[in-house]
Amino acid sequence: MGDILDVIKSRKSIRRYKPDPVPDELIDKILEAARWAATGENYQPWRFIVIRDPETKNKIGDLARLGSGSRMTTWYCLGEMQERFTKIEDPVKRDEVLRFMYSGEVSEFAKQAPLVIAVIGTLMEGSVDVPYDLSATAENILLEAHSLGLGACWVHGPVASTRDAKKFKNILNIPTGMGEYKVIAYIAIGWPKEDRKHPRPKLPLEDLVYWEEFGRKERPKYE
Amino acid sequence: MNEMQYCNEVLVRLEELLFHELSGCAAWKTELVGVDFIQSKNIKGDTPDEIIQNCIREIKDAGFVADMTYEIGGKGIKLELKMKGCAHLPKENRLREDGVKPYICPITNMILDQLIEKLNYTTTYMGEMKIDETTGECRTRSAIFETPEMIGTVSNWDEE
Repeated sequence: MGDILDVIKSRKSIRRYKPDPVPDELIDKILEAARWAATGENYQPWRFIVIRDPETKNKIGDLARLGSGSRMTTWYCLGEMQERFTKIEDPVKRDEVLRFMYSGEVSEFAKQAPLVIAVIGTLMEGSVDVPYDLSATAENILLEAHSLGLGACWVHGPVASTRDAKKFKNILNIPTGMGEYKVIAYIAIGWPKEDRKHPRPKLPLEDLVYWEEFGRKERPKYE
Repeated sequence: MNEMQYCNEVLVRLEELLFHELSGCAAWKTELVGVDFIQSKNIKGDTPDEIIQNCIREIKDAGFVADMTYEIGGKGIKLELKMKGCAHLPKENRLREDGVKPYICPITNMILDQLIEKLNYTTTYMGEMKIDETTGECRTRSAIFETPEMIGTVSNWDEE
């Protein structure tokens, strides 16, 4: 069995795509990876809606722009967005990035992606831990797409608020009852039009790992 | 124990639980909490001022707040609400004691809901909720977007 660490470590979110379509056999592989995700009690609550129709993708992109844009505009007006981007020293570049964020453009790239997969989960009686299962399947989609040379990005923006989630469901004819289906995200997929390498820096393990109990940083000898 | 105290205690447990499950994102998902009351009141109006004033009247008449004022600014997208003597103040205080920053304001939700329902606003978002427990005053600041084109209309709300 191969070690997939290189696949995991080299993946990053891709938001710009070439217009070339994603072949059906690759779509099938991505969906196959999705259905093998970890799931509590093997419940497999996930359902996937594969979207290639430009009109539908435009609607999803518009909704994502409004969702992210409304929140980020507010955060900017309250001064919170600016604090998040103080690391960008060039003021012109910083303003450019901030405008990209608060305009909502940061989340509307479903419009350009050749392939969009909506990840939803059934909340029918007996379901447990649905959001966690959906997160696991979304990660599988990202990793499989990356391993096939594609780029992908998981977008929560258009379903983050209750009203927007309902709009999203309406676009795709998903039943809208709060007890029926949960929409966790859409995943945009396509051939990368940006550098796939140099993922953003990650926190070092020593900042993340405790041994045997919370707060204990030194690794004890264990035989 | 009166009904409001019971209601606030129930809300505290739910608000804590939802924050524990969703962290900051919980605030984005609770926009409908409280709206049933105002939706039952047949609020009328053709402008934001009329809608907001009529909502405030109903909210005060119901005894949910003792006093309430509002201000629209920030190029038309900032809605600032100030409330005194809110019936939910014990909820906010209890949450803060428990280490959770309050993030659900049912009163603000009511007004944002009616801007969407009655004036067809594109979307709204409550970005800030401040509570002064010594004076019993609350302030929320929300963005109200009449049209999709207003997304990205920025200004400094602290300088107004």
